Amino acid sequence: MADTPSLPAWEEIEHTADWALRVRGEDLRALFENAARGMVSLIGGEASPAGAVIHRTISLHAPDWEILLVDWLTELLYLIEDQRVVFTHIAVQRAADFRLDAEVTGRTNGRFDKYIKAVTYHNLVIRQTDKGYETVIVFDV
Amino acid sequence: MRKQDINRLSEYLWEIPATFRDDMRVPARLYASERLLEDALGDQSVDQLVNTATLPGLVQYALAMPDIHQGYGFPIGGVVASRADSGIISPGGVGFDINCGVRVLASNIDLEEIRPHLSVLASTLYQNCPSGVGKEGSLKLKDKDFEKLLHEGAKWALQKGYATPEDLARTEEGGCLKAADSGKVSKRAWERGIEQVGTLGAGNHFIEVDLIDEVYDEQAANAMGLYKGRIAVQIHCGSRGFGHQVCTDYVRDFQTASQKYGIKLPDRELICAPFHSPEGQAYYAAMCAAANYAFANRQVLAFHIRRSFEAVLAGKVRDWSLWQVYDIAHNMAKVEKHQVDGKTIEVVVHRKGATRAFGPGFEGLPPEYRIIGQPVLVPGSMGTASWVLVGTEESMRQTFGSTCHGAGRVMSRNEAKRTIRGEALRTELEKEGITIRAGSMPGLAEEAPQAYKDVDEVVKVVSGAGIARKVARLIPLAVIKG
Repeated sequence: MADTPSLPAWEEIEHTADWALRVRGEDLRALFENAARGMVSLIGGEASPAGAVIHRTISLHAPDWEILLVDWLTELLYLIEDQRVVFTHIAVQRAADFRLDAEVTGRTNGRFDKYIKAVTYHNLVIRQTDKGYETVIVFDV
Repeated sequence: MRKQDINRLSEYLWEIPATFRDDMRVPARLYASERLLEDALGDQSVDQLVNTATLPGLVQYALAMPDIHQGYGFPIGGVVASRADSGIISPGGVGFDINCGVRVLASNIDLEEIRPHLSVLASTLYQNCPSGVGKEGSLKLKDKDFEKLLHEGAKWALQKGYATPEDLARTEEGGCLKAADSGKVSKRAWERGIEQVGTLGAGNHFIEVDLIDEVYDEQAANAMGLYKGRIAVQIHCGSRGFGHQVCTDYVRDFQTASQKYGIKLPDRELICAPFHSPEGQAYYAAMCAAANYAFANRQVLAFHIRRSFEAVLAGKVRDWSLWQVYDIAHNMAKVEKHQVDGKTIEVVVHRKGATRAFGPGFEGLPPEYRIIGQPVLVPGSMGTASWVLVGTEESMRQTFGSTCHGAGRVMSRNEAKRTIRGEALRTELEKEGITIRAGSMPGLAEEAPQAYKDVDEVVKVVSGAGIARKVARLIPLAVIKG
């Protein structure tokens, strides 16, 4: 029997006023990494050659996985708005015990076509599936 | 949600009884025509309306206006009133863009006078009113000044020379919510906000130069200084990164507060705390600071717009001055007194994508508006009409003094992005005589008129239901977007 094609790590799904992403990962580390990459790809952005390269280590802790996911994506949104960072590298090293450790690299002073105001908790549930983890994240735009 | 689950109460009013779902505390009511109800049933918005009916301490009904569409937590177009003494306040119910709202300025300029200068005027407005992602404004504020702005809102702008006393008199709450406390906002909110005063932002925010193409109520229009054939300007924006951060901070804090107070909810974004709890009061003080930020922000933008009009039109038209018609919020929680079951009680009215629409006689209105009712500003989609309405006695009776806030989306952003090209849309709008200045073509495509409901139908419903009265219609001549 042929292998079934693997499902995308993230995909945009229909939402009338805002943006919504379905995100998958073989484990929680991958889910968090894919969520960040999906959000960054939704926003787009053009790096500025004149921008400075920045590297950040991000460590977060939250009462549950959903809050940790919102905190993580919110942290990246802040860097996008505050320094107009276009990310070139996003790696989550660890997601365990409601803690996350990640490293991101990007270039400041980018140009963006799209804007996300915030990451919402709307119906946010991280579900375990037979292939790993899955969630749907709604962004206020 | 199916149409058969909804009872029709009158031509434009529908009800989902509290028995529809076990966790509903009050019935849910929706203002719509048949056509707008079909639109609303096309996404999750009516389910979201039912979710709001589960919040503790609500009185009468959870309501939705005819521009209802799917949001996060509350539907856009949602209104609930919770008892101030025993009910809740919900940061998610106000949303991230606290005091997103609309300001309308009017003028004596007529179409023939402005037409030769529209292109230069649009470019000047685009240049003087910074827009786009994380854009910094021209004001460099010190911490002390910013603290004053958060406590005083538009009053701060008056002291700094960005406003006239008449502007403040024609702003909801005089442009200042006194319960604001800058001590309740995070360092990050402060950092995001201090650099963005006087900026438009991105998304659906805009500045629009309009023609007043029809007047429906001469008395009200005269009181506002709106004359057929003359030019008006709309500003649509809110509290920028400051408000977004205040909401982000408190939605997170309330995730644990809700558990503490034993509040069970169908959606985590509806998170809330008792209004009189320490958490509820802290959020309310921070929300008021964000509301003041938005009032000041629209005031500084109005100042830039007046300067742009002067720079382009002085000496070329008879009178280039712009006076304020009104400034109104459409994302806010307000402590108000309303009649419930024959008694006047204090409630926290959450309006998420809905406008306050107080009727004649309300003391907070300037004398010239007390007889006509509070102006309601309803922007349409880009390329279609916008409306100026007034609140009515009926809106006080039926909807806690609330009405619609815009056209309401009907097409998803994803679909708009797939099917509409920004460049083609700009060409099409320019062919219709609308000058466009936009920083982002994909962003422009998502805001295409096809993505929105028919604003005229929305206004037909609110005026047919009696929860607002038509005053004037505006049509766009130039649109400035981030």
